[in-house]
Amino acid sequence: MTDNTAGAMTRNQPIAMPAPLQSLAQRLFSGRNVLVVSLVAILSFLAVYPLAMLLYGSLHSTPPGMAGEFNLNGYKSILNWSNTLVLLNTVAISLGKTIPSLTLAVLLAWIIARTDTPWRDKLEVLITLPFFIPPILTAMAWGMLGNPQVGLLNQVWKWATGATVSPINVYSYGGIIWHMMQYSTPFLFLFIVDIFRAMDPALEESSRMCGASRWRTFRLITLMLMLPALTNSFILSLIRGIESFESPLFFGTPAKIEVITTEIYNSINHRATPDYQYATALSFAIMVMMFLLVIWQWWLLKGRTFTTVTGKGYAPNIMKLGRWKWVTFSFCILFFVITVVLPVGQLLIGSFFKFFGFYSYDMLTTEHYVAVFNNAEVWRAIGNTMLLGLLGATAVMILGSIVAYVSVRTKWRGRRLIDGLAWLPWMMPGMVLGIGFLWAFAMLPGPIPIYGTIWALMLAYIALGTPISVRVMNSAYAQLSYDLEECSRVHGATFMQTMWRILIALAWPSFAVGWVLAFFGIMRELSASILLYSVGSEVLSVVLLRLWANGLAEQVSVIGLMMMLLVILFRWVQLKLIKSRISTL
Amino acid sequence: MSAIVLENISKFFGAAAAVDNVNLQVETGEFVTLLGPSGCGKTTTLRMVAGLEQNSTGRISIGGEVVSDAAQGFFIPPERRHLGMVFQSYAIWPHMTVFDNVAYPLRIRRKSAQEIKERVATALKLVEMERFADRPAPALSGGQQQRVAIARALVFEPRVLLLDEPLSNLDARLRTQTGDEFRQLQKRLGITSLYVTHDQGEAMALSDRVVVMSMGKILQVGAPEDIYQRPHSRDVAAFFGSPNFIEAEVKACRSDTGGTFVLELDGGWKGPCHSSHEIKPGNKAAVMVRPENMRLVSGGQGPSATGMAWKGIVKESIYRGAHRSVMLDTPAGNLNIDLTALENPAVGANVDVFAAENSAWAVPV
Repeated sequence: MTDNTAGAMTRNQPIAMPAPLQSLAQRLFSGRNVLVVSLVAILSFLAVYPLAMLLYGSLHSTPPGMAGEFNLNGYKSILNWSNTLVLLNTVAISLGKTIPSLTLAVLLAWIIARTDTPWRDKLEVLITLPFFIPPILTAMAWGMLGNPQVGLLNQVWKWATGATVSPINVYSYGGIIWHMMQYSTPFLFLFIVDIFRAMDPALEESSRMCGASRWRTFRLITLMLMLPALTNSFILSLIRGIESFESPLFFGTPAKIEVITTEIYNSINHRATPDYQYATALSFAIMVMMFLLVIWQWWLLKGRTFTTVTGKGYAPNIMKLGRWKWVTFSFCILFFVITVVLPVGQLLIGSFFKFFGFYSYDMLTTEHYVAVFNNAEVWRAIGNTMLLGLLGATAVMILGSIVAYVSVRTKWRGRRLIDGLAWLPWMMPGMVLGIGFLWAFAMLPGPIPIYGTIWALMLAYIALGTPISVRVMNSAYAQLSYDLEECSRVHGATFMQTMWRILIALAWPSFAVGWVLAFFGIMRELSASILLYSVGSEVLSVVLLRLWANGLAEQVSVIGLMMMLLVILFRWVQLKLIKSRISTL
Repeated sequence: MSAIVLENISKFFGAAAAVDNVNLQVETGEFVTLLGPSGCGKTTTLRMVAGLEQNSTGRISIGGEVVSDAAQGFFIPPERRHLGMVFQSYAIWPHMTVFDNVAYPLRIRRKSAQEIKERVATALKLVEMERFADRPAPALSGGQQQRVAIARALVFEPRVLLLDEPLSNLDARLRTQTGDEFRQLQKRLGITSLYVTHDQGEAMALSDRVVVMSMGKILQVGAPEDIYQRPHSRDVAAFFGSPNFIEAEVKACRSDTGGTFVLELDGGWKGPCHSSHEIKPGNKAAVMVRPENMRLVSGGQGPSATGMAWKGIVKESIYRGAHRSVMLDTPAGNLNIDLTALENPAVGANVDVFAAENSAWAVPV
């Protein structure tokens, strides 16, 4: 080794000539500028342009692409008593589902993270599963389960008690909230369970040592430490509730309960002449409301730090429940049964009977499977959804990875702008973004035929998915210290080599997990798709809705089951990835 | 030829200078430590040598070749400077085995599989980690990760080894042991090393020369003994341990051999004292005496001619196992003295304290 070292001293070649290096540096510098400018351009097209077109459209008297004049009629027409009611409905329903969802999520998270309930790791997988099921599927399933005339639950109740009155009617406020809770609870649970896990147990132990009881400690320390995160979750869930489309569409509209998203949808799809100015003005108004909510969220979280909570991986305090652990276990199972087993079971049953609601032996049939498999439109929709899912998720993740890298790992000028632009679609409900893109595509100069093609949907999906992909990749990069990259550079690797061998090699599991999330997002997306699809570019969720509207609930069940299989397959792959990642990192 | 030359190096973050006009030469085979409190610019200096930061002004040369010259806008990126570096967090890539981590610099340089195998084996043997080659990196303890990081930094025979607080994440016992082992390895390989630490003991034990930095500037460069016993300023003196400073008036000043000066002082006592500064008679000087260089003399014995003596009362006495710390109240103010663990003067006792002439050192006030 001594010889080698001496050798190294003489073997060193002069490393580089100054002149070519300088030009290389210039090339890199301009390359960086090109990247920043193109990122800003792409993100602006995805978010700022449709938003600007939304404002334009709300002031424009005719539908997209037609000559008209500018006036304030759109805003005048949305200011009326029935829209006030719609707004109140929207907020009340969202609040009504957020509060019980959050309570339930905290309880479930506590059971999973902090008690000795048996098979907690498996329960966790079951509890979070509903989040990954497209809401349109559970909405349809609950439409069949809780139908006041022929719903399975009502039939069972009547059969068991001999009653003649149906106790359950899902076409009501309660039905909307009930359905929303089923996917907002697991969504909130995913947030909260990690906070329970990441909390330094010493913070709670010291409270116990100071003489506080377990319950007092939970109230004064645990909950208080989680308060910023809970506030954040609360507002997040509130915003999601206001944006929600499937639940009010399925359970509200039949009962004449309208919320903002369904009001926008109806004004375009269910009027003799679609009133675009009205819908656009309403969309812009809801955007402003979202913006105010987000500002409120910032204001609430201002100055609060999460540093006490988001620390290293601690071994959290586990509470021994004794015999009560079977109660908590049953509670989790009950949640899973209600949110997954019942709806999926309904789809399964529904798919094998001639008519849903009439469940007798002689009604058994496989004709719906035959019908679905012979339906060319369904196959085209499956093809479109797969194509959009595979390409869209990949595009979203690549864009998100680059944006996240630029905004968190570099000190480049313009990185904050890029971060902000990528985040902007986050507060746009799919419905609003859909309308924005309608205008945006119609206003594109010259013969750029995006509207009416599958690429219109693709762009909307990329816009909707980017905030999440950026977030996933942000946290992936945040786990990797700068040293890992710098060390590679010092030891001879170029920027590109370091990217490939270190950063991508370390971040790819997160990339894959994010990819699956993005894929799910695309597969379940309904509110933007319903506005942007046209004949030939239908996606599964749109076809499902059309079949449902035509009363073909049995065929819907068949397609729903196929989608469920896909959900379970992808979720399984995702969990495998997360697990292998945790065991190696 | 100097292995590293820094000429007028500065680094500005906005208007603030993190490193302010630093000049330094590190000779080939030398072990130089940058020492200072956090925020003094030592890590920034190291990162500028590495090429991870670009210097705002000045010129950096490594092995006689300019790697960065702010005036010319010339900058060689880190991967082409051919340096080894050990990071504070070790930066062991968690997705690779120990072997892959160490092989990385060689693979980047497209060495043959055979050569990689041999050189990684040699490097791992140097740090006594050859048994762990196939381990996944996250399965290593802190001390083992540190060894792998050193092996990785040495495996491609870099021109210079840079180390950024490599021992600070180890526990105290392991820190001393690893430090000593690393110093032996460094001497054996003769590799030029630039080392950053805030730990004075580490700097003393490992370095050929220590560079004391504060607020982005170099306060003093010298061998550990120089820095410790013959500081140029009160700041440097105070950085190591908690020395006593006794103010005195300068009565006379004359040159001594080796560029130092001998002062005749009067501070309630009279005596000669050495200094690196020429301090004119009539001015004040602070005499630094380190606690471990003072001792108690029993009442009858007068102090010898060359030295300083005070009378005092024991105010505090703390047993520290290896020694005993005593605080005395004397006419020259409170003095801290380290006694052997066996001595135990009673609190309130009257004592005579003595410091030999060669243990005192005067710095300007």
